[in-house]
Amino acid sequence: MATSVTAPMVGKILKLEKQVGDTVQEDEVVLVMEAMKMEIFVSAPVSGTIKNILVEPGQSVQADDLLAEIE
Amino acid sequence: MDDWTFGWTLALFGMGGTLLMLWIFSVLIILLRKIFPVKTEIKSEAKK
Amino acid sequence: MDSALPTALRALGLGLSNLGVGEAFMLLVGCLLLYLGIRHRFEPLLLLPIGFGALLVNIPMAGLMEEDGVLRYFYETGILTEIFPILIFIGIGAMIDFQPLLENPKIILLGAAGQCGIFLTLLLALALGFTQLEAVAIGIIGACDGPTAIYVTSKYAPHLLAAVSVAAYSYMSLVPLLQPGIMRLLTTSKERKIVMGAVRRPISRTTKIVFPIAVTLTASLIAPMGTPLIGMVMLGNLMKESGVVERLKNSSENEITNIVTLLLGLSIGATMQAKNFLRWETLMILCLGLIAIILDTAAGVLLGKLMSFLSRGKINPLIGAAGISAFPMSARVVQMEGQRYNRKSHLLMHAMSANVGGQIGSIIAAAIMLSLIQGLGT
Repeated sequence: MATSVTAPMVGKILKLEKQVGDTVQEDEVVLVMEAMKMEIFVSAPVSGTIKNILVEPGQSVQADDLLAEIE
Repeated sequence: MDDWTFGWTLALFGMGGTLLMLWIFSVLIILLRKIFPVKTEIKSEAKK
Repeated sequence: MDSALPTALRALGLGLSNLGVGEAFMLLVGCLLLYLGIRHRFEPLLLLPIGFGALLVNIPMAGLMEEDGVLRYFYETGILTEIFPILIFIGIGAMIDFQPLLENPKIILLGAAGQCGIFLTLLLALALGFTQLEAVAIGIIGACDGPTAIYVTSKYAPHLLAAVSVAAYSYMSLVPLLQPGIMRLLTTSKERKIVMGAVRRPISRTTKIVFPIAVTLTASLIAPMGTPLIGMVMLGNLMKESGVVERLKNSSENEITNIVTLLLGLSIGATMQAKNFLRWETLMILCLGLIAIILDTAAGVLLGKLMSFLSRGKINPLIGAAGISAFPMSARVVQMEGQRYNRKSHLLMHAMSANVGGQIGSIIAAAIMLSLIQGLGT
């Protein structure tokens, strides 16, 4: 069962800290977003392996959009 | 009017009034969202 | 001709020979404001002109604030008439985005709690022996909103303008230092860890356009004395949301705001003459202003706790701290504090709702106070 990483708020993707295939610990930063001129660190909800990343830097996202999946 | 009547009147009615007014605004927002929901706008634009 | 040389030399030294201790001290204060603005980027748009104004006005014999002095004209035409703060309000309205509030209207109540410091500080100032109208001007520092503070103070206690506006603007930039401690003190670690989900609720354009009109009518009919404040902010916002007067909106948020900010800062600096500023009252006002902002934060967090309790733990009380109108500093502080206790917690947008509520709240609090004072006939 894959766990999804969703956007906590509307904003723009700044950079990816992890790539597909990387292992992450719970609470480790997966990617950095920008919202209201502030860096928002989106962290992993669970430990696992990044199965899929659906966004790239520079892309705008809405709140709750799917950003990545962890297995 | 003496200082304390002035002070307490302003403090109580001021704070109460501010709370009340902002509460009215929140009701206003909920009403506005009901009267002008997003869907109707999309429809009317589609008609054009 | 023989005596002309020493006279001329003396005339050239007049500034220096008339420099008193007070003026010299105020020149240092001016330099300190410039330092804080330039080096530490504390509200540089304001502290730079204020600091420089303070320098100019404390040069002996220059007479910039005397009758026919050039800064006196700015002060009398812009501040005493309240034109400068009013023009700034149009710009604020053109920049403000009510979206977070429209998505999450219940949070607006936190913006009222964030004004609590105004009223408590007013009582405190009365207890310390300030006159009634002076106390009102000191309390308004708790609105944490420069133009509102200047508007109210120029109406009721223009002699306190320098102290009140310096307090209002400098504490606004101290928000990131002042708030976290109070937020930690008043909340439990379990409360600080509450995760609030993402908000995604589309708002129709009509709602955004009707909102400023409806707010103006409601608020002005209840507190008519506040109509200039509310009206100008909402006019700016209507220009933004309607999208039909892009040019007027752009001038309001850029050219008008920039020009007025420069003149406003300079005129405020010009009120910092040694003889007006170097008094015990100034020190007391600076302390009271600090207390006002601390009380605002505390009240916001406490109402946040109540709302958290009533919602059975769905609201993180930390967002209450953003109920003050220091925008967007306060919302950013809340986001950072939330992250510190729970990496999965993103409070920014919720705090933005409270923060926008605080911006409206401070204007409404001022409007209601103005109307009450008029009603009481003081």
